[in-house]
Amino acid sequence: MSTQVIPAGGPPESVPGRSPGRSIASGLLRARALVALVLVAGVFSLLTPDFLTANNLSILTRHVSINALLAVGMTFVVIGGGIDLSVGSIAGFSGMVAGLLITHGILIGGMAHPWYPSAWLVILAALAAGALVGAINGVLIAKFRVAPFIATLGTLYIARGAALLVSNGRTFPGLAGDAARHNTGFPLLGDGTWLSIAAPIWMMVIIALVAHVLATRTVFGRHVYALGGNERAAVLSGILTGRVKFFSYLFSGICAALAGAIIAAQLEAAHPATGESFELTAIAAVVLGGTSLAGGRGSIFGSLAGAFVIGVLADGLVMLGVSEFWQIVIKGLVIVLAVILDQAQSGFQARFLPGWVRETGN
Amino acid sequence: MSVHGSQTVSSAAAIEVSGLVKRYPGAVALKGVDFRADYGEIAVVMGENGAGKSTLMKILAGVETPTSGEVRIDGRTVRLRSVRDAESRGIAMVHQELNLLPNLSVTDNIFAGHEIRHAYGWVRRRVEEQRGREALEILHHPLPPEQLVGSLPLGHQQIVELARAIARRSKILILDEPTSTLSSAEVEILFQVLDRLRRSGVCIIYISHRLREVLEIGERFTVLRDGCIAGRADRRHVDESWLVEQMTGRPALRTRSGSAPQQHRAVLSVAGLSLCSASGARRALSDVTFSLHRGEVLGVYGLLGAGRTELLECLSGARPGFTGRVCLEGVSVRLDTVAGALRKGIALVPEDRKRDGLVPELSVRENIALLGLRECCAGPWLLAKKERRTVEAWASRVNLNPACLDLPISALSGGNQQKAILLRCLLCRPRVLLLDEPTRGIDVGAKAEIAALLRSLAAEGLSVLFTTSEPEELLQIADRCLVLSRGVITRDRVVSEISEEELYIADSEKPERTGTDW
Repeated sequence: MSTQVIPAGGPPESVPGRSPGRSIASGLLRARALVALVLVAGVFSLLTPDFLTANNLSILTRHVSINALLAVGMTFVVIGGGIDLSVGSIAGFSGMVAGLLITHGILIGGMAHPWYPSAWLVILAALAAGALVGAINGVLIAKFRVAPFIATLGTLYIARGAALLVSNGRTFPGLAGDAARHNTGFPLLGDGTWLSIAAPIWMMVIIALVAHVLATRTVFGRHVYALGGNERAAVLSGILTGRVKFFSYLFSGICAALAGAIIAAQLEAAHPATGESFELTAIAAVVLGGTSLAGGRGSIFGSLAGAFVIGVLADGLVMLGVSEFWQIVIKGLVIVLAVILDQAQSGFQARFLPGWVRETGN
Repeated sequence: MSVHGSQTVSSAAAIEVSGLVKRYPGAVALKGVDFRADYGEIAVVMGENGAGKSTLMKILAGVETPTSGEVRIDGRTVRLRSVRDAESRGIAMVHQELNLLPNLSVTDNIFAGHEIRHAYGWVRRRVEEQRGREALEILHHPLPPEQLVGSLPLGHQQIVELARAIARRSKILILDEPTSTLSSAEVEILFQVLDRLRRSGVCIIYISHRLREVLEIGERFTVLRDGCIAGRADRRHVDESWLVEQMTGRPALRTRSGSAPQQHRAVLSVAGLSLCSASGARRALSDVTFSLHRGEVLGVYGLLGAGRTELLECLSGARPGFTGRVCLEGVSVRLDTVAGALRKGIALVPEDRKRDGLVPELSVRENIALLGLRECCAGPWLLAKKERRTVEAWASRVNLNPACLDLPISALSGGNQQKAILLRCLLCRPRVLLLDEPTRGIDVGAKAEIAALLRSLAAEGLSVLFTTSEPEELLQIADRCLVLSRGVITRDRVVSEISEEELYIADSEKPERTGTDW
């Protein structure tokens, strides 16, 4: 056998680098959610002097944390080429589970008085409720091959119905608990602080960091991107795609449940309609953050930035006294603009690949 | 035909370009190219990937506009602004990746975008069907007009593409690698069709990597290299080594000496493997029995639809539900998932890179380490630095520039993409490597590299099983070959004992496929 190999089709030795101007431009496009955030925040701080105050920013971040949690959970699902419409309902359902446990406890067979779990157990149970719905999504999609849109549309209704059934449609008030029942402390999830930062913000930061590490540093993350980029290739290269799908929906369910528990804790009440249409806001944040709805591309911090853009926009417009109806229109415009930028970015990147790689396309 | 050399400009050429330059930001694809083709001739354009032939064809088909230079049709200078514009001037292009709508019928495909309409915009189905049938008859392939294109074999899909060009009365037909998906018998049919078209006065521009085929069919040869014309000649002055020399700029070299392989124990043995086709109507594979030894390269040769792909898919775990026994190193194994087969040491390089291999959004490195390399993972964690080093080390082995590892894989040429997918499989440390048409649609240089790589892997003890529809390639790479015909193995020979002629005979031993087949 000849040892000499013709180096054809290979690139030349010297690789032309990108000019700095181009790389800055494409870098800005890639981080456009962050750029948009800075722009929007800048505009509001100019228009309303109260915007850029520590107090306002802390309130704002607390508002954002709910949507950010949903969006971060949704990101894996969307990168993997799916969608999770059930997150809003999961948030409502998990809040109701928490409400039920705090106000009515559990009546285990034969006991005269119900047992009241501690606040910690209540939170865990609420998360478990979300995990359950997420797992159902995962099984429907991975095992029974139901289209994600349909499967999660189904669980959107099921979880909402379940939330209403928990209390027959009534609200559970007074989630502060009762010292006599040893179940106080649940509201701390909503307004507790540590190092003068509120609990929901901590939750958001922790979950986002965990998700970011999962996405970038683990085999699971790599597999999610592969699944969304080309499912056939993922299967044929030995990736257990069913398992990857299951865990991404499970994670989304847990994040949504955490968001639901936080809402209930903040309000000290669980209302069965909590979280209606939250799934759409979460999807908007994910898309704003540069994640492709077709799958295969996106990032956790992008979604986080997307959630902040929406939050800043919402709070800022309120502070400016813009009509509520115009706020909705503006939110829609921003989402559409984000997708246009997304298209521009794909084209832009293709145009500025080094010459020797572009010309070899076949 | 060879009377019109490029010097005689007696009559106007069907299509002629002069001084064609195409600049992209950061690269010049064409650096002043002159080219002509006449009616009633088959003009072959060759060149490695990146030589600029695709760009030239895209300009002729109106997909791209040139930076400078002239395009003349029938002697008149034209500007081809769009594909529709080119089409209206009688130019039709059949792309390498077929542009068909699998969910629509043969007739709908032939007239897609050019529907024949009534005054009120209704589609005249009867007329379309009639004209479509006429076009297919010119091609001597009366496919049923209402058949869904997705259900046709690839060879027949190609016929539909040609019928589309004929139904539009195209005078200039550009074919980009038309045989890359066809097997030798189907290539024969295509060549007959092209010859018939040529004699009816159509100008055919034919792009291919396959030396033997272009020598069979071509009359005028143009070779591009690095955006320039490297050589131009008529058939009588052209042979294989001339073409390779012009394309690579180096003399042709043989990839293989005739050393006899040593026989080792069987790594993979397959006994009585059978598989029902998707429709269940006939057996895609029946009673396939063979063994693969350590350090052996076994080539599977067969027609499209002979069951090559199915065989490899069964062995890679992608097609559970076959019957028969598969033993790995003497131990019977169940192959019902890809992940399971991979764990047992069987890896597959799939036939259709784009559909089954690449994740276009990810970088080359991530594509190579898609599964998460075993030695670069600690539990669920990816060790990025280690992964980078490992992938780089292997990339240099297959001559893949480490600088391109962080680019999106979709930016690479077919040959380099194939190397990346091959690396993905190798990094799983397989005992048996399966490759389905590993050289499909890649240039001569990359083909030689992959051939050399397979030989050297085998020399290190890996067992390789690959499929091909090119006898030449089979005889060059493989130690032993199987001929598969309609799901049955008709030959199992050491390559030194089989000739190309015998391969042709072996794959047509069973009755030819007829219209009732689909």
